[in-house]
Amino acid sequence: MFWAGDAELKAFQSLAADFEQAEGVKVRLQQVPFAQLLTNVDAGLQSGQAPDVFRVTYTDLGVYSSRDALLDLSGSVPGDYASGFSPALYAAVSRDGRPYGVPHHTDTSMVLVNTEAASAAGLGALPQTYDEAWTWDEFAAALDKLKAAAKPRTYATGLNLQLAGAYRWLNFVGQAGGRLLDESLRAPAIDSPAGLEPLRFTQGLYSGGYVPRSTSAKGEYVGDLFTAGTLATVLAGDFLLADIDKGASFDVSATFLPVKEQATAELGGNALVATAASGRKEQAAKFLQFAASEEQMAKFCGATNVLPTRTSIDAADLDYAVRPDLMALYLEQSRAITPEIVQQVTVPEFNEVNAALVERLEQAFNGGRDAKEVLAGLSADIEQVLAS
Amino acid sequence: MTVQAPPGQAARTAAFPGAPPARRRRRGRAVREGATAYLLIAPNLVLFGLFLLLPLVMTFVLALQESSGIGPGRWIGLGNYRQMASDDVFWRSLVNTAVFVAVTVPASLAIGLGLALLLNRPIRGRAVFRSVFYLPYVISGVVIGLTADWMFNENIGVVNKILRLFGGDGVAWQSSPLPAFASLVAVIVWSHVGFCMVIYLAGLQGVPRERYEAASVDGATGWQLTRHVTLPALRPTTFFLVVMMVITTFQVFDVIFVLTGGGPGNATQMLVTYAYAAGSAPASRATPRRSGS
Repeated sequence: MFWAGDAELKAFQSLAADFEQAEGVKVRLQQVPFAQLLTNVDAGLQSGQAPDVFRVTYTDLGVYSSRDALLDLSGSVPGDYASGFSPALYAAVSRDGRPYGVPHHTDTSMVLVNTEAASAAGLGALPQTYDEAWTWDEFAAALDKLKAAAKPRTYATGLNLQLAGAYRWLNFVGQAGGRLLDESLRAPAIDSPAGLEPLRFTQGLYSGGYVPRSTSAKGEYVGDLFTAGTLATVLAGDFLLADIDKGASFDVSATFLPVKEQATAELGGNALVATAASGRKEQAAKFLQFAASEEQMAKFCGATNVLPTRTSIDAADLDYAVRPDLMALYLEQSRAITPEIVQQVTVPEFNEVNAALVERLEQAFNGGRDAKEVLAGLSADIEQVLAS
Repeated sequence: MTVQAPPGQAARTAAFPGAPPARRRRRGRAVREGATAYLLIAPNLVLFGLFLLLPLVMTFVLALQESSGIGPGRWIGLGNYRQMASDDVFWRSLVNTAVFVAVTVPASLAIGLGLALLLNRPIRGRAVFRSVFYLPYVISGVVIGLTADWMFNENIGVVNKILRLFGGDGVAWQSSPLPAFASLVAVIVWSHVGFCMVIYLAGLQGVPRERYEAASVDGATGWQLTRHVTLPALRPTTFFLVVMMVITTFQVFDVIFVLTGGGPGNATQMLVTYAYAAGSAPASRATPRRSGS
């Protein structure tokens, strides 16, 4: 069971056909909308009719593995299986050293830029290596220029932290040297100067009219607004490139997320997992390994514009269907997905932590709440979630 | 000449084994008719039991447990209700729902009545107008929500574009609580007036012509006819519509879910959307436990 856009659907159909041919096992694909998938999985787990295999975000995986709903692949994969993957991403599908899925692909955000708007604002050449990435001050200066040159009712940028994407705000926290959870991962660490600074910075983007207020944590997604020309720049994942490339009537370029104390990027992408109650455990485990094999992963990533998780695949060599030039930059950006970020966003309770983030960021961005008050509330929410 | 026994006596005597054959036949027929009646309502009873009563009981049982949606729950008595009572978003949703119903229902009825009075007259294109006004009521709520989302988008929506054509600056339909609530009320009233209009039109057909004639003879003007003849005659229709509209408005979910998602903040959060977020969303989209705001 999976959700998919058009390109992903074709890629999954091709994967299933290849598996059937290789293993002689019939695969029945079930496509459902993203918002419905986990509802269906939960209902299936309750009634004993869960799918054998399903697609899941790394941030949602923990809630299932911690409740023993997923198949432990320890006995099915070779001993050195982990060494084939990026350590941070393999850790994202593991719990207590046991793999509960395969990291199928990853993605992360960059700053996409409307090239015409950037030239009108006199931004000059955009940083094209991570060493040259904008600092927060330079990012703010660029937004000032874009705002000054903006046409009526257009905005300098858009932040992609709506609903399930609220955790992307942690990029700013990481860049400022802060953490959401402490190193034990059992207590909040956000109510700190390194948490306050990014909150005030992002809050200022909304209150200063740099980003539309309608795109707060519970608001509308920013991808369509960028495509429509309402935003001069946007923080967006590589999986949106196909839609943006198809819909935008202007040239699009990209640059790295801004840095402050350090560079960070969020853990995007999805894993494939099998259910512990599956009646076809052996075939399910085989399917997961087949999907995460070098050949299949390269094929899937190329067709759907996402990044591979296998270290042996060089994303620069993949035959990307859309904007391979920008995908090379995304690959560079993905190197800033730190193990610290991965550990924090894959704790079993993260789904509830993320839901608290949505509520609290909404208060900060659209409710006029003081940043200190918001962080104190968020910290208390996290304490309560982790204590339960 | 025969004397018929009183019904009560017949029933009593039929209960005795020594009763005459005619009475036994009547008793047999009554039993057969009773069995037939039960047989006829059995499908409804089964459906009612399976799809309404059983889920209701199971929902109540579930309400007494702490459940993640995965695996068995844990009995916590009234813990869920205590948590709900201490959640400020619940109280906000309750107030929002009450205000929403209090504004939407009278507005739908008033506009529906106005349209019915207009379209009860022999005007050209009456049937077309009636269909046009009724159409939104039969359209899927999701489609209405998506259409409204397109119209009320504060950055690229049609409504703000029109307002700007006339020199306005547009309204923050998505990021300000009051305009967001107003957009929701406007959309629901628009989708409900057609139903109110049709029911009022039906009610207007039942007002006796003689009352209008008598009042006219007494010198009543057009407004006085409406005020003192039409409106009193439509009282039962209005009562029916109030009941129906209150129930329907309480149940509105799809339009809110698609149009505002309960935001901004919790400005358009209603009891149904709150219930969905708290109870029906998947484990991984759980509502956060709040420690106060």
